[in-house]
Amino acid sequence: MSVVAAVETVALRKRYPKVEALRGVSLRIEPGEIFALLGPNGAGKTTWISVVCGLVRPTDGSAAVMGHDVVREAMAARRLVGLVPQEVVFDPFFTPREALRFQMGYFGVRPDGARIDEVLAAVGLSDKADTNARELSGGMKRRLLIAKALVHRPKVVFLDEPTAGVDVELRRDLWAYVRRVRAEGATIVLTTHYLEEAEQLADRVAVIDRGALIALDRPATLLARHGEKRIRVELGSPLEALPPPLAARGATVDASRRVLECPFPAHGVSDLLCDLAALQGVVDLRTEQPSLEQVFLALTGGEKR
Amino acid sequence: MNPIGFRTLLAKETRRFLKVPGQTIGQPVITTSLYFLVFGFALGGRLRELDGIPYVRFIVPGLIMLAVIQNAFLNTASSLFVMKIQGTIVDLLVAPLSVGEMLGAFVLAAMGRGCLVGAVVWLVAAAFTGVEVAHPLWALAFSLLVAATFAALGLVVAIASDKFEQLNIVPTFVLTPLTFLGGVFYSARTLPPAWAAVTRANPILYMVEGLRYGIVGAAGSPPEIGLAITIGFLALAVGGAWWMLKSGYKLRG
Repeated sequence: MSVVAAVETVALRKRYPKVEALRGVSLRIEPGEIFALLGPNGAGKTTWISVVCGLVRPTDGSAAVMGHDVVREAMAARRLVGLVPQEVVFDPFFTPREALRFQMGYFGVRPDGARIDEVLAAVGLSDKADTNARELSGGMKRRLLIAKALVHRPKVVFLDEPTAGVDVELRRDLWAYVRRVRAEGATIVLTTHYLEEAEQLADRVAVIDRGALIALDRPATLLARHGEKRIRVELGSPLEALPPPLAARGATVDASRRVLECPFPAHGVSDLLCDLAALQGVVDLRTEQPSLEQVFLALTGGEKR
Repeated sequence: MNPIGFRTLLAKETRRFLKVPGQTIGQPVITTSLYFLVFGFALGGRLRELDGIPYVRFIVPGLIMLAVIQNAFLNTASSLFVMKIQGTIVDLLVAPLSVGEMLGAFVLAAMGRGCLVGAVVWLVAAAFTGVEVAHPLWALAFSLLVAATFAALGLVVAIASDKFEQLNIVPTFVLTPLTFLGGVFYSARTLPPAWAAVTRANPILYMVEGLRYGIVGAAGSPPEIGLAITIGFLALAVGGAWWMLKSGYKLRG
């Protein structure tokens, strides 16, 4: 018997009067995965999450959470999810502690002070627990959103750009917490502005562009397939002309003509070093590993965001 | 079924207005009490009686109804509209709350505010006119049903509105004129026939008359008519709010 998917969408479409935001997206996310959804602005990532969380009605196709159709069995599906929305939203009437009590209650869970304290500590808001939400900084408000999405122990957590505007140290703390939430049995689906975040966290990555799925695999597989290790050489003075052997390898120089980049060959590294020996005044040399950002740009053919 | 979710939303909506009591309770109580003092005593000396009721007692049910209608409406309208504008409505739309649970929690909390303000206005008036209530069950029934009607109407208006200006159209251009022209300060029988006919076309008149029958024991129209009209409008308002929440109109994309 096959395992029920944590999230499954089949040929999911969402058409607005002027744009088709989703063009038949089929995705299956396994229980316990950390799954990253990448794509340029307006690619359809937030629409996909919104359909799965019941905020937007699909035009066609289906979406299910743990086997519960999000339209026909909406209540059963919603009980299982937690959502960090992309926009920073907060209720200025209440404190973080009150907001978390309400959030637990909405999901049918009896408010539990110990659980609330635990989640507040995890997102670094213990000392602001009883401060009115309007007095929190932007980063704190975003952390409160994360706490709200997790406090009722959802089976599937959707994080729509959860760490935008959050400082580096806290971002790493939150990653650690996300891994812990996964270790406790939850499935994590995230979109992120930081491709490093996807690379560090995600078991699998899907790339969406113009409402369609264009890549889906493990980060390592995507890097191997679409990424390219390169060698970067910095020169003391501008290069007058690119030596023909390096040009034949696909090497390029930047506008200052002091930095040369060349694809790193899978075999025959010694030959490449011989070709590079023709360069005068080398001041630095290093290899660059392929990044998910490089893969992303190769797949979408444009800007990251 | 999500009884914890229902109770949580009800508690949250109630605490929301209790957190700012000066604005949600104090201000309307002061305003309505001033109407009572100014109209009841300034005009009361000249008018003496209307429909056989001392004028100062005549206006009390109308002023209570004014408070109930405005506050029940404003509670749901402002709460849901602000949630829409701020985006916190997402908390409710993602949660496993059924249409009935959401509607029930919003309406009950707004009824609480409307009836609380109405009760305080009645207490202020009772200090001058006495605490006796002729038909307590009729008074209670009209207070609760009218509060529920306008609480549900507040939801409808909040969901349909995209801007604060639109939200204010109904209370400013519909509710306040209809309430003031709904027999709060005068009896339809004292008006010329044409104006009396216009006044009798106003449904709020029958709600005010119903509460007047409950508190004072006499009114210009039978309470049964008022009850039927109130239930009819309650069904319309609740039906509209139900449809909007169920269909996701202006809430779910």
